[in-house]
Amino acid sequence: MGDSRVVRVHSPDSRDRLRDVWPFRDMLRSLVVRDLSVKYQRSALGFLWTLLSPLIMLMVLIAVFSHIVRIPIERYWAFLVSGYFVWNCVQQSLTTATYVLQQHASLSRSVAFPGEVLVLGAAGAKLIEFLLELGLVLIVLAIFHHGTVPLSVLALPALIAIQFVLTVGLMYPIAVVSVLFRDVQHALPLVVTLLFYLSPVFYMVELVPEHLRPIYLLNPFAGLLTLFHTVLYDGAAPSLPLLAWVVGSAALVHVVGYSIFKRYKATCVELA
Amino acid sequence: MSSSRNGALLPAVEARGVEKRFDLSRSRPTSLREWFIRTMLRRPVEWRHPEFRITGFDLRVEPGEAVSIIGGNGSGKSTLLRLIAGIYKPTAGTITTRGRVAAVIELGSGLHPELTGVENVRLYGTVLGMTREELRERFDWIIDFAEIGDFIHVPVKYYSSGMLARLAFSVAMASDPDILLIDEVLAVGDEAFRERCADRLGEHLTRGSTVILVSHDLDVARRYATQALWIDRGRVRMRGDPNAVVDAYIASHYVDHEAGADGPEASGSAGSPEAVPASSPQVING
Repeated sequence: MGDSRVVRVHSPDSRDRLRDVWPFRDMLRSLVVRDLSVKYQRSALGFLWTLLSPLIMLMVLIAVFSHIVRIPIERYWAFLVSGYFVWNCVQQSLTTATYVLQQHASLSRSVAFPGEVLVLGAAGAKLIEFLLELGLVLIVLAIFHHGTVPLSVLALPALIAIQFVLTVGLMYPIAVVSVLFRDVQHALPLVVTLLFYLSPVFYMVELVPEHLRPIYLLNPFAGLLTLFHTVLYDGAAPSLPLLAWVVGSAALVHVVGYSIFKRYKATCVELA
Repeated sequence: MSSSRNGALLPAVEARGVEKRFDLSRSRPTSLREWFIRTMLRRPVEWRHPEFRITGFDLRVEPGEAVSIIGGNGSGKSTLLRLIAGIYKPTAGTITTRGRVAAVIELGSGLHPELTGVENVRLYGTVLGMTREELRERFDWIIDFAEIGDFIHVPVKYYSSGMLARLAFSVAMASDPDILLIDEVLAVGDEAFRERCADRLGEHLTRGSTVILVSHDLDVARRYATQALWIDRGRVRMRGDPNAVVDAYIASHYVDHEAGADGPEASGSAGSPEAVPASSPQVING
């Protein structure tokens, strides 16, 4: 008679059976649902709050850069909304990564599941909000900017995928290092602010001096935002070399970030 | 469900020479400053950390067996459950489990305070590894078993600890585990719920599933178990017949108190439980 039970062996050198996220997809899904429902329940304005803070920021930026500093671009607001929500999503995802493991410390110590699920769940909840925002942006741009839906939006799924891979690739190491060093929680806002100015969120990449641009574009977010601008604001097909570079660098960041996560995640379950 | 829950099967849980060390030097929040001092200047940071380890842990649990683990606070009982559940990885040794494992270790750990009972059942069920279809099928059973009434639609932050335990335990039972690990969860349930749990655990064992139970309630330890383990400072101090182990454990309190501050190990001599032979069937030899 066959013994069909699932056999699990835990030993110091058993390579981590918990790395496989697929069997935990339903858990992942319910974590995303939970994050969103906890955020929006008993809140009369709900999603409007999520929109409000970026909208206020957008209004400030539009006021400053189309009337005071005057960035030379037609319909500055259209340019700004093409990239701003991408940045907003990245920034919030990275911030969430600094506490997601601590937040679930008790869960991690009572149930065996891959820690990846927690990071992916947090990223997934942000991604869904981003998709809603992006939908609104598309509608607004189609009506007031292009007068039609440009074909270039067909490239959006690819850009969103790159953004997700890149963001999660940074969330992984931030999550584990935050458990080991609480300092990360203080340092991250500084880094994020720095990145905001070093990425083309409120200005165009064309304004960066040409001889500095290769260095400037080393920042994968610079490339990613430029691609979003091309697709959403210009309504043009993304430049293939830039796309290739962003795909490559996002993959690299993800691989390196994930290897850091794997290295420390077991320790983090015990420490968080 | 599982077709092979009876017959001569391999043990459900098998642990050999398991050791677990915790690096408590890192158990405090570390700042970069400390890290710099320690790693760059290679100077020790003032902080003498306590040592905690599990050593030489062997266990063999056959399908249909119930094991209770008893021992003082901080002796390593929960750590053992976490090792068996695969939450912690052992520093040495091997643990093999055969079948689906569900652990209810910290009360309310899989539940979110802001979500209602119903929403939490959906969340915790998938956390325990049920698929959405399984959860849909067993949803009514869970709600019935938990007997929380209309409170099932109220956020669980308003629940009493007994209600939390009912909810968590019901979901864990519904996940139909082959190996169920329970840590002190039953203790907060009322008499009626404990009776229902006892029945359910009985059924569970009859079908050839396995239970490992940590409890400070020594009656529970006697009642459910086919073997008992007494853990003391990370070691198995005694194992065997539940009544014998519980009696020895209770007796040790009196002996240890008389022995004073040196603690249980110093009690030695006649009453020493080491002298009681750990009953043979459960012991792994080599």
